[in-house]
Amino acid sequence: MTEVPLISLGLLLMWGTVVGLDLVSVPQGLLSRPLVSAAVTGWLLGNIEAGLRVGALLELFALDVLPVGASRYPEYGPAAVGAVLLAAGLPSGAQTGVGALLGLLVAMLAGYSLEWLRHANARHVHRWSTELDAGSATVIYRLQWAGIARDVIRSGGITVVALALALIMRTRLGGVVQLPGFLTPVLVGAGLAAALSGALRTAGRGRRLVWVGVGLAAGLVLALGVTT
Amino acid sequence: MKGRGRALLRLLAVQGAWSYERMIGVGMAYASQPLLGDLESADPVRHREATARSAEFFNCHPYLAGLALGASARAEHDGVAGTQIQRLRTALCSPLGALGDQLFWAGLVPILMSLALVGLALGGGGPVLVGIVVLYNVARMLITRWALTTGLETGMQVGTAISTSWLPRTAARIAAPAGLAAGLAVPVAGAWLLQPMAGRSMLVAVLSACATLALLRWGGARWTSLRVGLVLAVLTLLWTRFAP
Repeated sequence: MTEVPLISLGLLLMWGTVVGLDLVSVPQGLLSRPLVSAAVTGWLLGNIEAGLRVGALLELFALDVLPVGASRYPEYGPAAVGAVLLAAGLPSGAQTGVGALLGLLVAMLAGYSLEWLRHANARHVHRWSTELDAGSATVIYRLQWAGIARDVIRSGGITVVALALALIMRTRLGGVVQLPGFLTPVLVGAGLAAALSGALRTAGRGRRLVWVGVGLAAGLVLALGVTT
Repeated sequence: MKGRGRALLRLLAVQGAWSYERMIGVGMAYASQPLLGDLESADPVRHREATARSAEFFNCHPYLAGLALGASARAEHDGVAGTQIQRLRTALCSPLGALGDQLFWAGLVPILMSLALVGLALGGGGPVLVGIVVLYNVARMLITRWALTTGLETGMQVGTAISTSWLPRTAARIAAPAGLAAGLAVPVAGAWLLQPMAGRSMLVAVLSACATLALLRWGGARWTSLRVGLVLAVLTLLWTRFAP
């Protein structure tokens, strides 16, 4: 197993925190998409290929998610950071699948942490509701910055969990010659079905479905070009 | 009215204190403070009332929140009755939420991420991704600025301004290109991710895709794509461990 320098881990922690903050709080600028998050992680680790492949696989799952309102949804951004750290330390072959598996696990846990954040914000807002109803600008500033600080802590915590799990799994799996070879195709298949399911749901019924079909047909022609 | 630039920047963090109690109400109040600054010296009582109203329950798509923010701030400066401003905010919640979700979360984001997947598979690499992130953020900032300016200019007439703008038309039309882009990305990304593997892996991927689609279609709401992926992965690990 290759050691990961402490400075790299520090940079990954910072990046994971930024990415987690981007999902809901600020600035919501696509940084939290797993493909973006993983590609930058791969670049920071000097293995952009692993970053792009793990990110692309997790992105397929993320395309099935509509992050609307108060619903609970998985958070793939910080999860992708840990997933790439793991994949970059494994022998090629199953690295994409093993990394993505960790990413899916952490994404699910991170989804629950978003609920904790919303409840914590609600408790804080409730405590100051009298002052809010009286139009106190000071309380508004305090609540806004406390909410962002809470999300920094949440995102940082999720990133620490993702990085710790990745480091433990790197140590355990780094020397294993035969990793489960079918894991990557199983997850690629599931991811492709997830992305397709998201596209079909968004398209609804009728003529819009035809556009999905046209896209699939054109994609199959392009895919032949990719494989040859 | 002063403070447009600062309000615009604060709109980037309008969900910073998102809670089940007031949703983005606190973020709206935080973003509205620069716009209400003039009122503080002219009419402190009105300023406190306006601040309190701005922090009440509100929810909509974050990128379009500027429409409600600008319209409310303009109405506060015009001396419109508080109850009317509250009714305006309530009336804007659902349409701004639905239009934004349709336009961004179900439209622009899937289109751009699908194109990014296609670009990567065709060998575009990192520059494709950087280009898409920059493009998205430029579009997002222009739309946020348009929303705030339109709200500030139209005040209580913001509903008419929205319905006659490009927004509802674009939101209604974006599903087709989103479907096209996602349809395009699925086979291309699949071929790229499975490229170094043998024919048996392709068969496994197809079987996995069929099982996932079947569970998502007929398995009920409990089966999300993430859960299906995790279950299939665990079954694969068990099979690898215990198969003869």
